[in-house]
Amino acid sequence: MSHVDLKNEISAKKVEPLLPIEKKLIGFSLGLGIALLVILIAINHFVPIKL
Amino acid sequence: MSDVAIKASAIKASEPLTLRAQLTEDWLAVVIGLLVFGVALVSVSGTDLLGWAVTTSVYTDLTQALSPFAKAYALLGGGGALIATYLALLVVLSAGVATLGADVRKFALAFTAVFAIAYASWIVGSYAYVAAVTPAEQQKFGISWSLKLTNEGGFIVALLSGIVIANFFPRFAEWLKEAIRPELYIKIAIVILGATVAITAAGKLNLASSLLLRGAAAIIEAYLIYWAVIYYVARKWFGFSREWSVPLASGISICGVAAAIATGGAIRARPAVPILVSSLVVVFAVVEVLILPFLAQTFLWQEPLVAGAWVGLAIKTDGAAVAGGGITESLIMAKAAAEGIKYQPGWILATTTTVKLFIDIFIGIWAFILGYIWTNHIDKGPDRAKPAEIWQRFPKFILGFIVVFAVSLWLALGSTPQIAKALPAAAGEANVFRVIFFVLTFFSIGVLSDFRKLWQQGFGKLAAVYFVSLFGFVIWVGLLISWLFFSGFKPPLVS
Repeated sequence: MSHVDLKNEISAKKVEPLLPIEKKLIGFSLGLGIALLVILIAINHFVPIKL
Repeated sequence: MSDVAIKASAIKASEPLTLRAQLTEDWLAVVIGLLVFGVALVSVSGTDLLGWAVTTSVYTDLTQALSPFAKAYALLGGGGALIATYLALLVVLSAGVATLGADVRKFALAFTAVFAIAYASWIVGSYAYVAAVTPAEQQKFGISWSLKLTNEGGFIVALLSGIVIANFFPRFAEWLKEAIRPELYIKIAIVILGATVAITAAGKLNLASSLLLRGAAAIIEAYLIYWAVIYYVARKWFGFSREWSVPLASGISICGVAAAIATGGAIRARPAVPILVSSLVVVFAVVEVLILPFLAQTFLWQEPLVAGAWVGLAIKTDGAAVAGGGITESLIMAKAAAEGIKYQPGWILATTTTVKLFIDIFIGIWAFILGYIWTNHIDKGPDRAKPAEIWQRFPKFILGFIVVFAVSLWLALGSTPQIAKALPAAAGEANVFRVIFFVLTFFSIGVLSDFRKLWQQGFGKLAAVYFVSLFGFVIWVGLLISWLFFSGFKPPLVS
């Protein structure tokens, strides 16, 4: 696999469509991430940093 | 990270991506870090074994710049301490890299040059016109102006020296390659850093435990939010294949080189793909280290812990992030000192390190999750992901950090008052080597940053994903989350 091959590969126009499993992965990650962040923000509010 | 120096053409497409070398480098970092810590700890008993290590003070007269750490070794003088430090590192690191299968003779020659240039850069960074910060310091050195970079500006000088060599003296950079091991150097430094972080934490246990709780936010942000958005951007907006998008998203969102290689291996990508992505990560980390600490000093100096967390979330690769945290701490403390506020040192760097280590811990689990999805749902084949890969990909140097942290914390809080009193000096001796390994890391990252070669290889499109994700999303979300969790809380003041 030469540099030229990689360069051509990166520039290639052919696009792999997003599979349902990839969409699920993105959606679950984002949803879970935002939900957990909200929980942590709530914890942060009720248990503030102690000096 | 040294893997990024490997040319893609030198790797066979059919060759499986093995993590053996990286894991060995992790364990080597643990052994060397524990060795430095253990030898430094002997000084608690009254026998000083590391006092000969060289330290550099801010100077206008070069002959006054260097000295041994401990007065007991004053006879050595600065030059003697420098030579002793070089020889000790040469012997220990040569023995270490021999276990990795490196060419020891080549390493020793290259390391001599690497140490000489990196430490010379550190000395340049301590010149009063570069380092002096407060008007009192300027007056002390009889100068009317200075760049006010603090003596940690030496990190920037080392980085720039490396970049100049990489881009203008490529043959010399190639010759140095055997000793250009930023991942090894920073992992050793992080293991040693455990002692300083523990002593800092022991002074304010409540604040330290609060920081740990907030480290969890970094994990969620890096793995669940950054990764998903960047993967989508790479696939949908830029049309990259899955094989390219996974290491790219991991490199930009999680922990640079280690994450790109771990997740690339997990989805069975060709080895050249994550390695080339890693080259890109290093280049962007360099750009970030040159910019973000100064932005933090300008805009976040009144929120030091926000700045520390932000640097840990925004700068990828352990080396650049933790060392960037060090620069940020120096710059912010200098600015605060100029305003009459003297923070205790260590808290900003501890925040950056906590954030970074929390993110690192989950690389193996994330790689396994991706590997499971890929090998069971996307590229189904006989080579399925196994739970054992979680441990295989776990960054082992973190165990070294935890051991050093736990032992130091116990000595600080659970041992005799005499030991607790002597501990900061012992940690200070170990810290001398932590700083040297930081300098070696900065220089090595610079030497790996051949901007021209990257451009020639046609990575403009990869760089575009990185640029859009980093400056359009990662640093802003990182800033928002750092602000939400750390704003309003300051490091303790020097009493």
